[in-house]
Amino acid sequence: MSSSLHLLADIRQSSERRPFSVLQLAEPLLNTNSVSATDDAYLVYEQVFISAIDERQIELAKALLLLLRKRFPASLRVKRLYGMINEAVGHPDEAQSIYTEMLATDPTNVLASKRLIALLKAAGHTDEAVAQLAAYLDTHSNDFEAWLELAHLYMRNHRLAQAAFCLEEVILQQPANHYFHLCYAELCYSMGRLDLALKEYLRVVELSTDNLRAFYGVKLVADRIRELRARSKKDPALCIDDAPQPATLDRLAQLATERLVAIYSRANQVTKTTAELWLSS
Amino acid sequence: HQDGKTRYVDAIPLAHTWPQLTPMFDVAVQQASIYAQSKQLSIGGYYVAYEDPADIQLSASSALLATALLAAGDRVVAFVIDAQQLTPESTRPGLIPFIGGDSQWKEQPGAFGEGKGSAFRLENNQVLGVAQRLVAERAETAIHDFDEHLDDVTLDWLQNPLLNERIRTA
Repeated sequence: MSSSLHLLADIRQSSERRPFSVLQLAEPLLNTNSVSATDDAYLVYEQVFISAIDERQIELAKALLLLLRKRFPASLRVKRLYGMINEAVGHPDEAQSIYTEMLATDPTNVLASKRLIALLKAAGHTDEAVAQLAAYLDTHSNDFEAWLELAHLYMRNHRLAQAAFCLEEVILQQPANHYFHLCYAELCYSMGRLDLALKEYLRVVELSTDNLRAFYGVKLVADRIRELRARSKKDPALCIDDAPQPATLDRLAQLATERLVAIYSRANQVTKTTAELWLSS
Repeated sequence: HQDGKTRYVDAIPLAHTWPQLTPMFDVAVQQASIYAQSKQLSIGGYYVAYEDPADIQLSASSALLATALLAAGDRVVAFVIDAQQLTPESTRPGLIPFIGGDSQWKEQPGAFGEGKGSAFRLENNQVLGVAQRLVAERAETAIHDFDEHLDDVTLDWLQNPLLNERIRTA
């Protein structure tokens, strides 16, 4: 298998959205007809189709869609691509009826449910998208990616507490993934729950290596809690009740600082100096 | 600030992931402030571009972030990027300024207008053309914000020298 095909497979595997790269890799292969003989041909066609509509290359997308339909005439998976191309050329109503038809044939069709939600989101109907996604999650509560998507929708509308609830669901299902603890830590900080933010940042440190965001987070929150405790007036919006003892906070801030200084030894002069000034302020 | 006017001479990109969340914003702004002072500058504003190009109102999250900046500096303006003005046909800068007051941020009407009284002006009339060209060339891949710096500490998010070079030679 050529290296381009390998790279395309890697991108499919990682679910990254890199339409420009996909097209760059695939177009020479398609032009020399190097795809059709491979086992993954139709996976590649689907992948390039999706990238093509992302990059507004509608004619290419149409050509690939015809290939796919010829091979899989009754497929719902291909039908949803018809929905997507309609979305891309600005026919959301057609797209919507395609997805609705798909759900009539198969009410559990996840692809159609998700495209309908994506349609609502793209049309700016965030509240409706939230409602649909919440309904979807009622029956598919193990879909942690959907919980994550719901969290993002809530964050867009500045509904941080609801977003945090979604992250909690994600973390229940994926407790070892530091990325989710990181998002949750930042949500907690943004909501003023500093004690929980600190705990979660420490969890990120535990679960990853040299994570700059986490070290910054520990230092930032430890300093903030110390500063708040030194004030006589309590700020009701900020929650520090479960925070560690002062001695522990000092130690945590110190450890975070040490780790940051070590990482910044690789940085350039300007960013390093600025970071060091920040650490000492 | 010499003639009572504020000149915006530089911009520092902060984040593109979780832009509504505040901890790394706080760290970045504090460091940007330190950097600015080292250049005898201060933070004069905040810019934001939304996922949907038709979205040109300052969101609730953005207003909160901009308000946090007000605590640090005196005259802070929040700019929303109007991406639809970044086409070659456009003759307007595609920046919509919002001025903060009390607890609200209001759009400044007629900001980059033709008349003498317009509150905002581009000092360099080549900027629009350069910006449009750079957008067409996908120069955004040369921008390294604080988010990216957090993933790779060797990236210079404060100065972005490679991008500056592209701007200079565009």
